[in-house]
Amino acid sequence: MIDLISPFLIYSAIQAATPLLLAAMAGVFCSRVGVFNMALEGQMLVGAFVAVAAGYFTHNAYAGIAAAMVGTMVFSVILAAGSTWFRGNPVVLCIGMNLLASGMTAYFLRLVFGVSGTFTNPAIPLIPRLSLPGLAALGPWGAVLNNQTAVTYVSWLIVVLCTILLFRTPIGLRIRGAGENPEAAVALGVDVDKLQFATVVVSGALVGLGGAQLSLGAVTLFSEDMTAGRGWIALVAIMLARDNPVGAALACLLFGLTDALGLRLQSFGLPNQIATILPYVITLVALVAFAKRKRQLA
Amino acid sequence: MTMATGRPAQIWISLRRPAITGAVGIVVAVLVLALSGVDPLRALSALVYGSLAPANIADTLNWAVPLVGMTLVAAVPLRAGIINLGGDGQMVVGALAAALTAIYLPVPGPLALVLALLAGAMAGSMLALLAAWGETRFGVPLLISSLLLGYPAAGVASYLVSGPLGDLGSGLAQTAQLPLDARLPLLAGVNGGVVLIVLLCVLVIFIDRRTVFGLETQVRGENRLFASYVGINAPLQTLRLMGFAGAIAGSVGAILVLGAFYRFIDGALLSPGYTWSGLMAALVGRGEPIASVLAGFFFAALQTGGFAMQRETSVPRVFTTMMQAVIVLVLTLRFGGRSGRHD
Amino acid sequence: MDNILEVENIEKRYGDLVANRDVNLAVRQGEIHAVMGENGAGKSTLMAILFGMIRPSAGTVRLRGKPVQFASTLDAISARIGMVHQAFKLFPSLTVWENIVFGAEPVRGALLDRKAARERVAALARTHHLDVDPDAVVGKLPIGMQQRVEILKALYRDAEILILDEPTAVLAPAERDGLLKIMRELAASGKTLLFVTHKLNEVMAVSDRVTVMRRGEVTDRMVTADTTAAAIIRAMTGREVSHEVVKPATARGRPLLEIDRLMVGNAAKPALDAVSFAVHAGEIVGIAGVAGNGQAELVDAVTGRRVIDGGTLTIAGTRANDLSLRERRGLGMAIVPEDRHDVGSVAGMPAYVNMSMGKHRAPPLSRRGLIDRAAMRRHAETLIQRFGVAIQGPDTRVGTLSGGNLQKLIVAREFDHQAPVLLVEQPTRGVDVGAIEYIHRVLVDERSAGRAVLLISSELPELLALCDRILVLYEGRIVRELAASQTDEKEIGFYMAGGKGA
Repeated sequence: MIDLISPFLIYSAIQAATPLLLAAMAGVFCSRVGVFNMALEGQMLVGAFVAVAAGYFTHNAYAGIAAAMVGTMVFSVILAAGSTWFRGNPVVLCIGMNLLASGMTAYFLRLVFGVSGTFTNPAIPLIPRLSLPGLAALGPWGAVLNNQTAVTYVSWLIVVLCTILLFRTPIGLRIRGAGENPEAAVALGVDVDKLQFATVVVSGALVGLGGAQLSLGAVTLFSEDMTAGRGWIALVAIMLARDNPVGAALACLLFGLTDALGLRLQSFGLPNQIATILPYVITLVALVAFAKRKRQLA
Repeated sequence: MTMATGRPAQIWISLRRPAITGAVGIVVAVLVLALSGVDPLRALSALVYGSLAPANIADTLNWAVPLVGMTLVAAVPLRAGIINLGGDGQMVVGALAAALTAIYLPVPGPLALVLALLAGAMAGSMLALLAAWGETRFGVPLLISSLLLGYPAAGVASYLVSGPLGDLGSGLAQTAQLPLDARLPLLAGVNGGVVLIVLLCVLVIFIDRRTVFGLETQVRGENRLFASYVGINAPLQTLRLMGFAGAIAGSVGAILVLGAFYRFIDGALLSPGYTWSGLMAALVGRGEPIASVLAGFFFAALQTGGFAMQRETSVPRVFTTMMQAVIVLVLTLRFGGRSGRHD
Repeated sequence: MDNILEVENIEKRYGDLVANRDVNLAVRQGEIHAVMGENGAGKSTLMAILFGMIRPSAGTVRLRGKPVQFASTLDAISARIGMVHQAFKLFPSLTVWENIVFGAEPVRGALLDRKAARERVAALARTHHLDVDPDAVVGKLPIGMQQRVEILKALYRDAEILILDEPTAVLAPAERDGLLKIMRELAASGKTLLFVTHKLNEVMAVSDRVTVMRRGEVTDRMVTADTTAAAIIRAMTGREVSHEVVKPATARGRPLLEIDRLMVGNAAKPALDAVSFAVHAGEIVGIAGVAGNGQAELVDAVTGRRVIDGGTLTIAGTRANDLSLRERRGLGMAIVPEDRHDVGSVAGMPAYVNMSMGKHRAPPLSRRGLIDRAAMRRHAETLIQRFGVAIQGPDTRVGTLSGGNLQKLIVAREFDHQAPVLLVEQPTRGVDVGAIEYIHRVLVDERSAGRAVLLISSELPELLALCDRILVLYEGRIVRELAASQTDEKEIGFYMAGGKGA
């Protein structure tokens, strides 16, 4: 048990939480502005693929990250325009987008790299890890926070920025209002369609960043459907936190911990397949534990 | 005040969506193919030939058996406005239950076959009911729980066949082969389960058209509040619909094991993406069974044609998956009309 | 020339329907100008035109002497017109100041200047005597306070002309008096108020001049001080009195709907607090009360939409506390819901489905779980004939029906159950006059047939005309039971306002 809770476990948990966290921040904004985004899974997959592809061709991890953010924003236009000006059903749009992302990435994986399944190549760059001198001096538990990728540090900064943006700026006020009562926002001169469009597209960049961390952060590869439900777990984090960025971030950290714990338990002899289902089981348990009990007769 | 519109106008309105969708679909297909450096005409004709030429009909039907089955899995609850994203998990547990029953139950083959099908249906149904019960009892959204339950289900199945219940001699994550007499026969090269799928389609259409349950399902799909006001018991309906859908999914898993693979192979059920294609077909048909089944058949033809297209040209066949998504996306959009926000 | 706003020959058509015809209106700076008329008289259309929500088909609007054309409400706001809608347009989860500055926020750098926003809102509230806490969450405020937030929203945007659309409809009498006082003060400070209402006493109490509308046209213009209530009614209705309902004498039978010490909500502030009454066979019992005093909770508790936290509900002699709505209907209860479109009908399905629901589980409409569509169509045709629903046929989708016809269809379906208990909510809201008279007649017929009718209505004349007894709900309690034949609107209003009587 002593061995189980090691600094390395926490280090891995923070690393595993990063993509979830970024997706959750995006999801919080979409949900607040009134577009329930169930396409996080597909967006993250697109981000992961574009990051690998751009990283491979430029040999530069940051170019990969930038491309992932832009690429995911472009992909997000489907939901952004579809749910606003084209009055599509957001649930259907998101389900379609998830399948499209899965098909599209697999298609271009074959077309561009000529492989199916998993693509890995020495030319794919790893996102550099940052060594912060102050943290290294703190001993093994200081190392928990040290040597994470730049994306990880930025992602926690983003949590803070998102909280400020949402609760302390005019645009945040408009986002919160537009989602709660679009008619009232329109009556006060806020173009809700435009605001929703912009929020969904811009937040797409965050999911793309998360995708890049997934494919270039701990590993340097792309494999089909490698997001493996992370977008959905991020969505659950948002639901548990009732659209609060900090709460969602903490929930993501919890899910990251279960992910790391699962991997860790493998070295204690837990079968691989059982270890990988741990995050989903914990997520489901959390959903039941925090669910609003229905007080209503049939 | 809505004025009655004339007949030609009505025909145009009902055809406008499919027409726009078809047009956009073809344009997107041609664009993607051209950008991939392929002659679109050649690729598309290979696709059509590969799916509908007499020699390839059996392939199409073999693909359609699970896909149309999974279309029903999504369409049955969708008719009431419920989205079942858990088809994968429901299919996997059904397949595993069927395989284990057929292999280990010491009864004569044909009986084992029947029991295996029933076990598959039961197992799929139980998993779907778990998600439904989570919603009716605890208020956990079915939309998400049905999907998330699929991961543990697939994980546990994968563990079982790679360890305790696996065919250890093969070195692969799979069960032993089914006894010869516990397999579904091939009918002219087609999975014998086709008969079952056709029967299921007929059953679903019959329930939808002729029964009180079907009518109440449609009423709920159109207006939830009205449904509960006239005394339709929504939680019970959710349980029934999901239980039925899960049973179909489990049956599809069983049919694949009993009529195609003759063993449970880890991952083989999920990689073709039947669940997602089926869901897309159901969304195209808006849960109406006949339209959904037709869409499911169309998607099966599209995907079978994809193999021929991949052979004849360099276009990967996942192209057809993309096209399904494009069709669904275009279908949900509204062009021109600006009446009201999301419905 | 001191007219701040002039409307000349405004016309608004929707296809064959004329909502406004040749409407002229002149509003002076600093006055309270009442626009009166019954439901559907065209008041709301006219106001929507003035606030830039819709464009007139013809005619001109002059503001301070200059013709204006509003493409949107934003144009109206920047022309310093403000509007308080009947259904508030607020963000319940946001605070008062957030609601008010929304869309025109004071900033410091990139951030909201919360201090400045609060101060401005507080100062505005002080100036106009609209006492409200800037940091309160709007959704938790009482309705009257929410209305103040709406007024402050308009004042924050420097509105000179304030349109108030049926502002008192949602208020308790005490709140209403507060609003009338605020209106007088606003006018005294130089604001111009357009007061849309159909309540006579309020017009007499507060307005300077009145413009009366009927069927889309202006029928009269008066100076309030020089006119009488009777003259306004004549202009509004074109007749002196409303129709009389003839109620034959019935013998009161046994109690069919019994409610005993019913509690709903948390103990600290229950939505229904030990409510007890019974509705007997052959009588109509009315529930009067200002919206928000427990009517919705009463209906929800009786129909099972809300859990009963204490006391008992008995339907036709059987305890029904823990039964589902279907089981309660099975005991013998039919329901005409307030919301015809979202609850009472399913717009996208044909009339025969709408009219069969509830009877569709038993012969002749179904046998052994199989439905008989032909029987359903015959059933629907019979009801359509019997209740005079104007509809093409049983296969027509009901989404196309007018309010009155849809209500007749719902009444037909529910009354056909011949259930001993009828729960009827706002049966004539938004329904044309012909349908009102018809629905009133069939309600009285049901009473004669020995049903127990519980009627919830915000229309006091309707309660007085139809009921045998009227129960007044105030803050979740029944504060008074009145015999309809021995009371009047004034007395009911007194108890609705929380008045304590002997």
